Amino acid sequence: MNRTKRLGRQGGLAASAAAAAPFAWLWVLQMRNADDPLTAQARLDMAIWMAVFGTPWMLAAWLLWRAWWRQAGAKLATLDGPGWLLAAAVATLPGDRRDWGTAMTAELTQIHGRGARWRFAAGCARTTVFPPGGSRAPVGVAGALAVVAIAATALGAGAALPAGRVFALTFVGLVGGLATQAVARWGRVGGAGPGPAVAGLALAGVAGCLAFTIYYLAEHPFYDGVDLAVAVSLPPVTAVVLAVALAGCLGLALDPPRWLVGDRLARWFGIAMAIALVGGFLLDSRLVQPGLERGSHGMMGYLLNGPLLVILPGSAAAAAVGRSFRSGLWACAWAVVLAAPLLIAAWLAEALRWDQVGRGLVLDGAGPLGVGANLGNAIWWPLTFLALWALPLGVLGAAAGGAWARRRRAREHADVVPAP
Amino acid sequence: MVSSRRPSGQATVVVLALAEQPATWQYAYQLCQRLDLNPGTLYPTLMRLADRGLLETTWESDLPAGRPPRHRYRLTGPGRVLAADLAAEPTARPTPAPARVVGGVGRRPRPQGT
Repeated sequence: MNRTKRLGRQGGLAASAAAAAPFAWLWVLQMRNADDPLTAQARLDMAIWMAVFGTPWMLAAWLLWRAWWRQAGAKLATLDGPGWLLAAAVATLPGDRRDWGTAMTAELTQIHGRGARWRFAAGCARTTVFPPGGSRAPVGVAGALAVVAIAATALGAGAALPAGRVFALTFVGLVGGLATQAVARWGRVGGAGPGPAVAGLALAGVAGCLAFTIYYLAEHPFYDGVDLAVAVSLPPVTAVVLAVALAGCLGLALDPPRWLVGDRLARWFGIAMAIALVGGFLLDSRLVQPGLERGSHGMMGYLLNGPLLVILPGSAAAAAVGRSFRSGLWACAWAVVLAAPLLIAAWLAEALRWDQVGRGLVLDGAGPLGVGANLGNAIWWPLTFLALWALPLGVLGAAAGGAWARRRRAREHADVVPAP
Repeated sequence: MVSSRRPSGQATVVVLALAEQPATWQYAYQLCQRLDLNPGTLYPTLMRLADRGLLETTWESDLPAGRPPRHRYRLTGPGRVLAADLAAEPTARPTPAPARVVGGVGRRPRPQGT
């Protein structure tokens, strides 16, 4: 086996092990932190759950590594240290500076001597981190506006919505930072955007989330928790998670990285999957759940089944139609980005309805807890399932669809080119 | 687009160096060596000059198999006019650092193929 193949296999194993490590760590943590000594059966059950979520991630990590290694890794394996440094640095250049990265890489091939190569690569890397931009005045204005918005939010939220202060400050700060960055890139990147459908869906999802979050914080800032102790509906950590998720979705949807916008077909598949996932959630909540016995209902089951029914086949279809593993991957990425705020908003909307008819929490039908308990659930559960469950399923679907497309292409090629 | 903004000190050094042989295409590493500039300084300067329409760039066309084409640079018409203007202002003209023979980037002799 040559060095490239050996490195490829070792890298695949390392990627799988890295994907499995958080799940193993989580299992150990649960065993250590259990209040009572756990039975062997409880330990086994927990291990099975970790395996259920960990195995798709291990497979997904291996598939992602393999795809990357085939594309770029094998080439990188032939490079020395300065070559690696420059290749990594050049990959971060914005689209309109790509030619300069290629120029630096070509120039490095003509430099001999270890020290000179390192110095040249380090100097070029510095350029790629801080490439010259256009006028700095608009960036300064955007940055100043962001600071003003943060200050206004600190004052306004403190007075009008004290329970939402952490969320509001984090969200406005992140959006201000992203907007400043977008202004800095404006005019240099130019061209391809995500399209009105993606932007509209993302804005609708984030606006819905914001509206419901503000409503919950104004009307239900606290709820009766376990043993009737008063609990905060939006604790600081959850507030930061929500702010990061919403700002991240907004940033990715409105100012996506170059590699995410190239595939138009994947974008449409992603939009369709996001709508299907949220539509399925609403249908399940309104049509299926009311028919179930109290105590056996709740949307937890949908979080497991929804991605299996939507993301897995949707990513496979995107890869098959787009005839590439990447099309499936990008479709899955768009689906997750667009579905996250929409699912949170749908969850919060349904929670109000469930509360009105006395059906307990949306997650598992448990009650009686205050409706405010749904706010934390609506943030943690959809985000956790999208990240831990939907993403790896999307990678597996994309791999299956990509493999099918490859076989079909090979058959077509065999039909066109007769055997000698 | 050609900007009328006055170039920085480093840009002036690069413009004047390119103006010494205005018809000849030059390489980035070659300029680093001649001017004793770090590529972290030279490349942003070249990018800005190209953005302002003062620098023309092209890729090598005739090259041996297996070697990637290199980027080459020379001044455009407005770049040469600017160089002439800069050269006519002796007090404003920065002095390029003397090229050294040994040491780091810009200090080694030019490699073969440049």
